[in-house]
Amino acid sequence: MNGEPVVQVRGVSRHFDVSRPWLTRVFAGEPRRQLKAVRDVTFEVERAQTFGLVGESGSGKTTVARMVVGLLPPTAGSIRIDGVSLTAPGPPADRQRLRRRIHMVFQDPYASLNPRWRIERIIAEPIRAFGLAHSNEVATERVNELLSLVGLHAADRSRFPHEFSGGQRQRVAIARALASSAEFIVCDEPTSALDVSVQAQILNLMRDLQERFGLTYLLISHDLAVVRHMADRIGVMYLGRVVEIGNARALFRTPRHPYTRMLLDAVPDISTRGRPDPDIAGEIPSPIAPPPGCAFHPRCPFAHERCRNEVPALLDGVACHAVHEGRPAA
Amino acid sequence: MRRGVLTAIDGVSFDIGRGEILGVVGESGAGKSVTGAAIIGLVDPPGRVTGGEVRLAGERIDGLSEEEMRQVRGCRIGMIFQDPLTSLNPLFSVGDQLVETMRSHLDLSAGEARRRALALLVEVGIPAAEERIGAYPHEFSGGMRQRVVIALALCAEPELVIADEPTTALDVSVQAQILALIKRLCRDRGTAVMLVTHDMGVVAHTADRIAVMYAGRLAEVGPVSDLINHPLHPYAAGLMGAIPSLEQDASRLVRIPGAMPRLSGIPEGCAFHPRCPHAFDPCTAQRPPLIEGGGRQVACHLYERPSEAEQ
Repeated sequence: MNGEPVVQVRGVSRHFDVSRPWLTRVFAGEPRRQLKAVRDVTFEVERAQTFGLVGESGSGKTTVARMVVGLLPPTAGSIRIDGVSLTAPGPPADRQRLRRRIHMVFQDPYASLNPRWRIERIIAEPIRAFGLAHSNEVATERVNELLSLVGLHAADRSRFPHEFSGGQRQRVAIARALASSAEFIVCDEPTSALDVSVQAQILNLMRDLQERFGLTYLLISHDLAVVRHMADRIGVMYLGRVVEIGNARALFRTPRHPYTRMLLDAVPDISTRGRPDPDIAGEIPSPIAPPPGCAFHPRCPFAHERCRNEVPALLDGVACHAVHEGRPAA
Repeated sequence: MRRGVLTAIDGVSFDIGRGEILGVVGESGAGKSVTGAAIIGLVDPPGRVTGGEVRLAGERIDGLSEEEMRQVRGCRIGMIFQDPLTSLNPLFSVGDQLVETMRSHLDLSAGEARRRALALLVEVGIPAAEERIGAYPHEFSGGMRQRVVIALALCAEPELVIADEPTTALDVSVQAQILALIKRLCRDRGTAVMLVTHDMGVVAHTADRIAVMYAGRLAEVGPVSDLINHPLHPYAAGLMGAIPSLEQDASRLVRIPGAMPRLSGIPEGCAFHPRCPHAFDPCTAQRPPLIEGGGRQVACHLYERPSEAEQ
């Protein structure tokens, strides 16, 4: 909690229009439909720290990631990186500088690398795009250096992505993220397509690089154990909203929001073997028509009238009427 | 073009008792799904089973004709796959699919089959089963579809259920419900379950015994608690250390160097030796046999001498 925030996300929302075509709507007398993928999300990421965003499908975590790197404009709210706004118009030079410092590692290493490009060209692209090397020799040297940083060989330069395994491709993606000396890397499920032994290699690599270069990560994952292992602070999302946010250790030790508790109970973890089967009810509702009030209320054992009508605000790191009112919720 | 014969699984032997859940775990390419497919006679061509035998309740089922095998599948062996939509016909209501499956394997009247289908849907936890029995697969959510698939797998009272990554496509909160359901139903009915998964957490919470596979071979087989707390095989130990945990703090995860070999390049001797921190002379030359002792089995040269001495 001592660093300065690199990333400030304030009241960010993103809506998608999922209406059917105009003519169909006219005939069926249907209104337009909006999918509110992300609603009023606020968080900060401090320098050289890892902020983990967890949630199940439909929680909006990937949409947040895409907005933070600037791939999607938010419908409302502001995103500032190092004090420079991604959302408000500003001098183009500022944003060019900003873009150099943000990078993203995607979930699927089979889709995120151009299959027709050699590794050399893939990694050198940000170097070239931002004009970071004044000659080809410098660029080549930089590529070699990056390859050895992520545990690949200089000889891998001239190979194509299909010659690599999933884990190696993810290393290439990380090398590319570092190529422009990015300081802030958004990792969207970086290991969920990988086997556990390879996942461990990549997570260790991410940690080593973070220590070495003071990188800041926004880690998006559905895997609570991965997030616990990597993150300093964690935000838990449910149906587009952050329901709990806090220090990673505290959140795992004493989860407060009923959803966080349910999620932790549900994870099959080798260290919690033998505990009784969790008592979990219901499934995630459709994000197109989320329940009114607190979106978790139909599944919540502590829900009462207020939860059904009023959206709980995120106060003191948790968005839950039962916790705020000090109702028995244990 | 490359030609030649690849060995996907090699000399894999295990048994599953009535009402027991055997978790078969391994990373991609370990051969766990092929093992399941070999048992039910569904190895995709050009693959084929070249040796060994499969016995169901003492009776060999590996040499049966296609027609006989079809009767065994669905009737005596039920199947649950990762994607419920591969098991469900989109053109028939779930009730019709259950009724048809039951009537083709069991001697039941249409009314009786319908009554049992409804009871089964209630048992697997479909809310308002009475109204939803006529619904089509696309009208159900992912978790509910998997419940229907479980009902379908169990409807002809099979002796064995093969569940191949049954919860991999589901969110954790739904996964927990489905695993509890499989566990409860199979215990109650005394059905043997082969649970194929890559997720150690899932087997740790669900299975009675675990078989760890590596490069198409069994590395270690043993009771869940032994295997998780004291894995013998270096690969099993590496796998346990590589998994981030919710309870224990580890600043670094155990790192198994390298990756699973391709089928075309399985190393001589022990398939794990190039990645193994304990590899010594015999590992590169001789393939380790599966050594038994104390209810556990391990295929590793490290344990050869001591286990002989013990016996």
